[in-house]
Amino acid sequence: MSERLPLGARRLASLLSAVPLFAAGGLLGLLADVPRPWGVGVSVALIAVGVGLRWGRSALVRATAPGPVLLALAFGALSSPLSLLAELAAGLAGLAFLLWLADDPARPRGTVGLAATSFLVPSLALGIAWGSALLLPSEAAPVGVAAGLLVFAIGALAFLAVRPSLLDAEAPVTS
Amino acid sequence: MSRPANADRGLRWSPLALALFATGAALLVGGVGLRSPVPLFLALPLLLAAPAAALSGPRGPPRLTLEREALGSGTDVTVRHRLGSLDGTDLRAVEVAAEPPAGMTEFAPPSESRNREALEIDRHWRTQEPSISVVPVPRVVWRDPLGLVERPAHIEIEPLVVERYPPELLRVGTFRLRHTIALPGEIRSRRIGSVGDFYGLREARPSDPFRRINWRASARAGRLLANEYELDRTGDVLILLDARATSLGRRIDERILSISRGAAAGLAAAFLRTKNRVGLGVFSEFLDAVPLSMGRAQGIRIRSRLLAARRGPEGVPPERAAVSLGRYFPPGTTTILLSSLAEDVTEDLTVYLRRRGYPVVVLSASPLPLFPEERMLSEAEEAIVTRIVRLARRVRIARSWADAPTVDWSDYWSLGEFVDFLHRPEYRRVR
Repeated sequence: MSERLPLGARRLASLLSAVPLFAAGGLLGLLADVPRPWGVGVSVALIAVGVGLRWGRSALVRATAPGPVLLALAFGALSSPLSLLAELAAGLAGLAFLLWLADDPARPRGTVGLAATSFLVPSLALGIAWGSALLLPSEAAPVGVAAGLLVFAIGALAFLAVRPSLLDAEAPVTS
Repeated sequence: MSRPANADRGLRWSPLALALFATGAALLVGGVGLRSPVPLFLALPLLLAAPAAALSGPRGPPRLTLEREALGSGTDVTVRHRLGSLDGTDLRAVEVAAEPPAGMTEFAPPSESRNREALEIDRHWRTQEPSISVVPVPRVVWRDPLGLVERPAHIEIEPLVVERYPPELLRVGTFRLRHTIALPGEIRSRRIGSVGDFYGLREARPSDPFRRINWRASARAGRLLANEYELDRTGDVLILLDARATSLGRRIDERILSISRGAAAGLAAAFLRTKNRVGLGVFSEFLDAVPLSMGRAQGIRIRSRLLAARRGPEGVPPERAAVSLGRYFPPGTTTILLSSLAEDVTEDLTVYLRRRGYPVVVLSASPLPLFPEERMLSEAEEAIVTRIVRLARRVRIARSWADAPTVDWSDYWSLGEFVDFLHRPEYRRVR
């Protein structure tokens, strides 16, 4: 049986999972097309704000913690020039963000290990996407195809968001 | 009776998942607009995380068992929740949100131990006053480790009732009751008869049969002496709760009603434990009665009726209660009336109960400790107001004494004064 650790100890332990987030976010800020100290500084500061908010006493404050972190990552990704390293850093930053989400100090210890599937699917997709970017030649047409596929993906996700019961298993029919 | 909890059992996205969807979509649009794939690489994990989390958990409502148990003593209440899984759901990802019942507050963080198959959570609550209350059904959900999706569990659960009352009430059951019946019980009743335990000798009367004369003792004393026997019988007691609204207002009325319900539950349990017959009357607008009976089932009947008791309207005539009582309870039944005595003496039930032949003892929960402190007054003025209010209360209790013995109950966690009062020899037979 796993016991719940004191909140202070859980907070300190959760700092470990924030390290990859700081690293990936900082790298993304470093690659951004803005004066170097500004890019890193803004990214790291916003991530630090998010980590600090998750230590708050109020549940409402804790719920807002991912906001600044997402803002930092989006800032880095949107302002980075096209390069394989920036693509890799953006993907890894997304995965680091998911790892940081899983290690919530308000939740019982050991739940990070349960999130394997939630990491595996995005990691595989990211690996395929980055591999394609690395190995396939860049042309204008594939960008158009990719854009179409992305629009389709957004539509499908919006449909799922509205109808989450589509993921429910069918109840067995007995006569 | 068990009932299913958590009626809504579908999969639900958390606000965080929706925020991730929105951010991912914005990044996609931004990436296409800027003709840069970098934002798309960040968007990919954000968009896929929530569907992947939904697929990693149970595909329908998790089927769980939940057992609850109330522990602790005095003002502390520890409710232990034990969860088990019927369909192999990993209990490490299950969360239990248990709210304390009204009148209780959480004083320590929950303690829990969990593994894949079992989950045990203790919630530590403290009750401010004596009470009897139903612990609300907890919300049990499976939540993915990222906190993106949740699925309410399907559980069958028994209602859990928590009773807290002053410990002195456990001694009250030995109080001698006036109305008894010839069933074996624990009320010692000195009745002359051919059965029972020998109690003592008394002067013989002409009506005594020869077999009751103690010839040896008579020879020694030089006059006729008869044996006296003592029988253990079952006594009858009626607990009457005055739930009418008073001028104190809804908030204080409901707190007093809650305290009185706790005391009534304790009194009923104590009298039933000593094999007496106990009846209950709740007088709000009309009388809601549980007729006299004994045993465990009667305890459950009384408890459920107490839980259903609600504050009635104002201005209900007190005689209505006395008339209705006659339909359920024989005159002469010792009656313990729980009333705040906040209204004028003309609203008292005691006069009408006495007229109908019910000997009454009044236990009056004082509203004084429940009054909020007024910050508008100075300390000296506050002291004067408190003194006047106390004097008024004392006068009110004294006026009630004219009709029935009345105990003012202001320290809610102690009923020693009331129990001692009932056991005083001069008040054993309530007038």
